[in-house]
Amino acid sequence: MIQVEHLTRRYGSQVAVKDLSFTVPTGQICGLLGPNGAGKTTTMNVLTGYLSASEGRVIISGHDILEEPMEARRQLGYLPEQPPLYPEMTVEEYLRFVAELRRVPRTQRAEQVRKAMNRVAAADMAHRLIRNLSKGYRQRVGLAAALLGDPEVLILDEPTVGLDPAQMIEFRALIRQLGRKHTVILSSHILSEVSAVCDQVLILSHGQLTAQGTPDQLAEQLADRTRLQVLVLGNAEIAARAVHGLDGVQEVHAEEENGKTRLEITLNAGADQKQQAAVSLALAAAGCAVLHMETEALSLEDVFLQLTEFDPQEEDPPEPPEADEDGYEDDVVEPDEEEGGPQP
Amino acid sequence: MIAIFKREWKSIFSGMLGYSLCAAYVLVGVLYFWVYNLLNLYPDFGYTLYSTTFAMLVFIPILTVRSLAEERRARTDQLLLTAPVGVPSIILGKYLAMVAVFTVPVAVLGLCPLVMRMYGIVSLAKAYGALFGYWLLGCAGIAIGLFLSGLTENTILAALSTFGVLLLSYLMPGIQTLFTVGSLLALGVFGLLAALAGLLAGIRSRSLTFGMLVFLGLCLALGLLYGLQSAALTSAFSALLGALGLFTPFESFIYGIFSIPAVLYYVSIAALFLFLAGQGLEKRRWN
Repeated sequence: MIQVEHLTRRYGSQVAVKDLSFTVPTGQICGLLGPNGAGKTTTMNVLTGYLSASEGRVIISGHDILEEPMEARRQLGYLPEQPPLYPEMTVEEYLRFVAELRRVPRTQRAEQVRKAMNRVAAADMAHRLIRNLSKGYRQRVGLAAALLGDPEVLILDEPTVGLDPAQMIEFRALIRQLGRKHTVILSSHILSEVSAVCDQVLILSHGQLTAQGTPDQLAEQLADRTRLQVLVLGNAEIAARAVHGLDGVQEVHAEEENGKTRLEITLNAGADQKQQAAVSLALAAAGCAVLHMETEALSLEDVFLQLTEFDPQEEDPPEPPEADEDGYEDDVVEPDEEEGGPQP
Repeated sequence: MIAIFKREWKSIFSGMLGYSLCAAYVLVGVLYFWVYNLLNLYPDFGYTLYSTTFAMLVFIPILTVRSLAEERRARTDQLLLTAPVGVPSIILGKYLAMVAVFTVPVAVLGLCPLVMRMYGIVSLAKAYGALFGYWLLGCAGIAIGLFLSGLTENTILAALSTFGVLLLSYLMPGIQTLFTVGSLLALGVFGLLAALAGLLAGIRSRSLTFGMLVFLGLCLALGLLYGLQSAALTSAFSALLGALGLFTPFESFIYGIFSIPAVLYYVSIAALFLFLAGQGLEKRRWN
């Protein structure tokens, strides 16, 4: 279980994450979605205790990450964007090192390392030096390391980046499997991945949470239109004219092909069976037989683009300070030019 | 901590680094031993050790540079800082591994007095006392190297700064004689230090005014001191330089004095810089 309350993180005068609050209940897979620079990695770094929060609290399995760091970290498995691997060690050596770091009792270490390697299908690389592994295998080793100690919470930062399609599918299946017993937060900017794997989606933009919900909920929430794809037998012009005047129809596109017309009808949001029936009857009345009718809901991609296009910072530009009654301006701290962004 | 110790030790000896460093150091030590003690029949092993201390100027930077700077560069510090391991454990684990690596050539050189014994009468207590002081000197130097390595991501910068600091320390007796000349020079150097302090204060508080105030305040204090008691200034300066000279307390070991103050000095330096190294790691979280 992860609880984040009013998390804010600043790098100098730049705010990377602003007033972020969310909860991930146990056993759920939560996706952090956002364009590059939205603050996903910063959020994850704060969640794992690598960075501290400028304001706010993070509670992992009931332990505050800053006040009870040891207990909280024991319940955390972290796979950063670049897995922290030591190139000069072999896979088995590295995993055994991580197991020792994570306080796995000596008697269980070998067993847990073996199980983790089998889980990520990297057992045949056990004695290979990490510097000789391919990117896909390095990700797997990183994930295996995150699994050691059987932590309750798994935090994965862009886990499938750089993998080939087959590996990506395997990885996602693995994450779904893990999600049954662990609480998982994964970040991604691949929408299909998030909608395929996650139970809950958080959309971040410019450091702020702009939407939250299941992939379907989000699509529903933000739909301002529904689209009907209709295939009719008949002339394009007649079909289009028949539908055009109907209630709730915004736009009609017609394309004719071999005597059949493909219509794309954009209706107002909340179009239900009544509208579909009206469209179908209107077409029948005009002499066009309906062969196929399909509703097209708003995809997560459209939701994403819609939500991340607008910049919350542009909504309210800061007003210039005005002089007080006594003629003096309030003290304004100018943002330091050189301090922008994370330090190297 | 033990996990980190084991890993660091294995890592240093996984490639050629550990072996070549230890071999080179033993080579230098044995060379001086051969020339001073065996060829020229000098009975003092302590003096031989003192002559080899320059080798530490190269050994320590190379040894310590990869401890923290490399971790930061390769982002493996993310693993250490998100594991249920405290910062003191991390620092101590790394430090002890490096001390262990340093102990290897020192232990080999420890065989030298026994060789001398075969050919004459040698005070083993004096020789091994000197060896112990020598080892402590190295441990203090390694702590300084660890701290400096944690300040940057750039391994070359870390190595060079460790080398620079140790070199300055090494040349400190010479520098000290330069500065006993006049209190004006001492004033100048202290003035520079005041400027540095002002700069640091200004950067930390992000306010030019505060930095300037600190600088002016210190200058005022220095001016008063110079006007009223310039001798105090020179002696204070001398004392400051003396404290920075890492290699001078070892000299008492050469004369056969097992100097407890020197032992304490080395232990304190090591403790101080280990503490600062830990603070450096913690600071990264809050930045």
